[in-house]
Amino acid sequence: MTVRTRWLVPALLASTAALAAQGQATAYLGARILPGGGPPIENGVLVVAGGKIVAVGGQGTAVPAGAATVDCAGRTITPGLIDASFRGGAALADLNEQGEEVTPHLRALDCLDPDDPAFARALAAGVTTVHVMPGTRNVIGGLGCVVKTAGAEPAARVLKDAASLRIVMGAEPSMGNRAIRGGRVDSIYYRRPTTRMGVVWEVRKAFHDARQALEQSVGAAPSPPSPGREVLARVLRGELTAYTTARSEQDIRTALRIAAEFGYQTVIDEAQDAYVVADELAAAKVTVLLGAPSAPQVAGPGSADGAEPRYATARLLAERGIPFVITTGSNFAALDLVREAMFAARNGMSVAQALDAVTIAPARLLGIDGRTGSLAPGKDADFVVWSHDPLDPAAVAESVHIDGNPVPASR
Amino acid sequence: MNRFLPIATAALLVAAPATAQDVLAVKGGRVVTVTGPSIDDGVVLIQNGRIARIAKAADVEIPWTAKVIDATGKVVMPTWVIAHSQGGQRGFNENMQNVPWLSVADAIDPAALYFEEALRSGVGTIHVLPGNQTLLGGSGMVVRPFGRTVEDMAVSARTGIKLSLLASGGGRLQQIRRLRRALEDVREYLADYERRKAEFEQEKAAGAVPADKTWTEELDRTKKPACDLVQKKTKGWLFVPTVAELEEALRLCQQLDLVLVLGANIDEGVPLLKRLGQPVVLDDEIEYFETDEETQKERKVCPPKLLADAGVPFALSLGLGGPTSHPWWQLGTCVRNGVDRQRAIEALTTVPARLLGLGDQVGALAEGMLGNLQILTGDPLQATSWVDTVVLDGEVVYERSQDPKLKYLFARDLAPAAKPAEGGGQTPKAGPEGNGDATGGGAGANGKPKDGGR
Repeated sequence: MTVRTRWLVPALLASTAALAAQGQATAYLGARILPGGGPPIENGVLVVAGGKIVAVGGQGTAVPAGAATVDCAGRTITPGLIDASFRGGAALADLNEQGEEVTPHLRALDCLDPDDPAFARALAAGVTTVHVMPGTRNVIGGLGCVVKTAGAEPAARVLKDAASLRIVMGAEPSMGNRAIRGGRVDSIYYRRPTTRMGVVWEVRKAFHDARQALEQSVGAAPSPPSPGREVLARVLRGELTAYTTARSEQDIRTALRIAAEFGYQTVIDEAQDAYVVADELAAAKVTVLLGAPSAPQVAGPGSADGAEPRYATARLLAERGIPFVITTGSNFAALDLVREAMFAARNGMSVAQALDAVTIAPARLLGIDGRTGSLAPGKDADFVVWSHDPLDPAAVAESVHIDGNPVPASR
Repeated sequence: MNRFLPIATAALLVAAPATAQDVLAVKGGRVVTVTGPSIDDGVVLIQNGRIARIAKAADVEIPWTAKVIDATGKVVMPTWVIAHSQGGQRGFNENMQNVPWLSVADAIDPAALYFEEALRSGVGTIHVLPGNQTLLGGSGMVVRPFGRTVEDMAVSARTGIKLSLLASGGGRLQQIRRLRRALEDVREYLADYERRKAEFEQEKAAGAVPADKTWTEELDRTKKPACDLVQKKTKGWLFVPTVAELEEALRLCQQLDLVLVLGANIDEGVPLLKRLGQPVVLDDEIEYFETDEETQKERKVCPPKLLADAGVPFALSLGLGGPTSHPWWQLGTCVRNGVDRQRAIEALTTVPARLLGLGDQVGALAEGMLGNLQILTGDPLQATSWVDTVVLDGEVVYERSQDPKLKYLFARDLAPAAKPAEGGGQTPKAGPEGNGDATGGGAGANGKPKDGGR
C-alpha cells in the first residue's frame, strides 16, 4: 500500500462528512466486509445515509443514484467494535464509591467525562461503543451504562443509562478495609467486608432484603423506599442483568450459586478461570466476559485469588458453546480491543469467532443489537475501515465512523 | 568459543544426538534470508553446524545421509537476535554499584523459564547483561537459549560491561557524577600503574634494579574490565533511562566505545541520536501515548518509527512477559506505525548481530554462517504464526509438537465434551495446529519442558 492511497480515504471522508449530515447516501466500495455474525463479503458494498446503514452486500448491491462513493479496495470493513467492559471514561476514584459497600443505585453514567482521553484512544482503535460499569472495589457497585465513544453531544452518545448491575466477588471489595481492633469503633476506617465470607454475606443480605421487600409489598405496610433495593428488585424480576466479576474458579462458583439461590440472571465478568468450570458455566447458561486475554497477569488481586489466565480459554468456551465476549476489562495491561481479539485468534479461535466476540456478541448481551454490533440495513452506521485484516498486528483503523460520520483516527 | 562440539551435552529428547558430520536439510519452505532475496521452495543445507548451501530445491541435491525436515508451506528464517537482555539470571541487579569485575556467567540459570520462552519464540542468540540498576556493572555474555550449563550455552563471553545512568538514591545528577568519578578513578589507577611501570623500567635501565628482575605486577583483577573499557579494548553497554541523560551519554560516547541501550520515552532524543549516528538498542515498550501539557490531547509515539525516519539503525528488545515478549508483536507494532517491514525484521536480526560483533555468524541465512534457523507456520509478522522448529548450530533444539508447556496450555482434558472432536482429529483450526495430539494437562506438570536438553 502506498502512502498516497492511504491518505486517499481520509481525504474523501472529509468531504463525505458533510454529505452524511444532509442524509445523502455514501457508498463504500470494494472492501472485504466482515459484517459481524455472518460470512465475509468479498469486494463488498456498504451504503450509508442519514447516519444509518442502507445496504450491505456483494458487488451487485444497488448503489442509490447520486451517492458519493469511497474506494475501499484492499481495505477491510467491520462493524464498530463494542467493549463490553471498559475501564476508561472516568477517573478510577470516581467509579469506586467508598461510602458504602453496597450501592446498587449509583450510576456509572453520572461520573463519565465525555472528553476522557480513553474514549479517543478506544475510538482510534476502532471501538465505537463501550459499556462502563462502576469500579471493582465495592461488593455491589451500581449501574453500568452503554455509550458511544464519540458523538455530536454527550447525551446523544448514551445508548443505555442502566444496562447492568455490577457485583464483585473475591478479595478485591475487601481490599484496604479494616476490622475493628481496638480504638474508636466509629472510625471511618473500619469498613466491612474484610474477608471473602464478608463479601458473599453482603451480596446475600442485599438480595435477601430486596426479596423480602418485594414479597411484603403485596400485602402489609410497604417498607420504606430504598433506591438501592429498587434496583435489586429489578434484577430479581429479571428486568436487569447482574454482571458479577469473578476471576477465580472459587469465585465463579460462588457467583453462580448466589445467582441460582435468588434466581437472577448474571453474566460472569473477567472469568479468567472459566476453563476450570466450563461444565458449570454451560449448565448455568451464562455469558462469560473474558478480560484482556493477552495480559500475562489477572487484573486486580487476581493472583491472590488464585486465578491464572490460560491461552486457550476463549477457544475452549467457543468449542463448548458457552457464549462469551472479549473485553479489555479492568486490566491495566489490556491492549486495544482488536488486539485482544487477535490474541484469542492466535490461541486457536477462528477469525470470525474472535471478531464476533467484540462486535455482535457484546451487542446482543447488552441489548443494543438493534442499533449496532453488525452491519445490517437500519442499524446505526458505526463501522471501521481497516488498512487490511484487522487481526493482523500491523493493521490500523484508517477511519472510524459513528452514525455515518467519520471520526478522525489517531494517524 | 567453539560451538561445534555440543555432542556430549546435547542428549536431546527432541532430536537424536547430532554428530559433527551430520547434515541437516530443511526443504520446501519459503526461505527468508533477510540479507538476500527470499527463496520459495528453497533448501537450506547445514553441515558441521554451519550453513553449507541455500538454493532453490531444484538446484540442490540433498545428500542421502542428511536428516531432512520438510518445511513445505512454512517459512524458514534466521532465529532472532537479542542485543540486550536481563533475562535468564538469578538476580540481575547487584546491590553494589561499582562492580565491573562481575560477570553474568555467574548469574545465568540455564533452567530459567526465560530461555525456554525465548526458544519457543524463535530466539536463537541472546546478549545477557547485568540489570539497569548499576553504575559500572559486570560483563555480559552472548548465549543461545539451549544447553545444560552456561558453558553449553555460551556463544561469546566478555562482550563488554554494563554501565547505567539510571538514578539511584540522589537523583540524576548524582548518578552522572558517580559515573564520571568511577571512570576517572579507573583512569587514575591506570595512569598510576603505567607511571610505576615506567619508573621501574627507568630504574632498571639506570642499574638501580637488578637486570634479571622484570615487572610482574598485573592489573588489579577487580579493575581490569573497567581498564579495558576506558582503553576502548572492550565495549560498554550504557543504559540511558530518559532523554534527560542523553546529553551525558553522548559525551561518554566520545570517550568510550559505547552502545546506547535506551529506556522508553526516548522520542525527544531522536535528533541527538541522529547526530550520534550509530545503532541503538530500544526498550521493549515501543508504542505509548503522550499527553500534550497545553492541549491535554494524547498523541501516540513509536520510537522505532522516529528512528527509522531519522535513518538511525535500531535493535528491538523483547519484554520478559506479556505481548512485548512476542517477536511478531514487536515487529507488527513497528509496521503498523509505519516502519518498513524489512527494517523491522533487521532490528531483530542483522542490526543486533552486528552490534554483538556476530554479523557474519548470526542474524541471516547465508552460506558460512552458523546453522541457526527457525521454521514458522506462517508469516513471522502474523499473530497466528507459531514457531514450529528451532535449529541451533545444526541441531533441532525445539519442536512445537513436543512442547510440554503448549500441550498443557492447550490441553482439552479439562473440557470433556470437546474430546470427541479431538478424537476425530478433524477439528478445523483447532487451536494452533500441531497441538491436536495433546494427551493431557499432566504432560507439563511432570517435568520442565525441554528438560532433556538441560
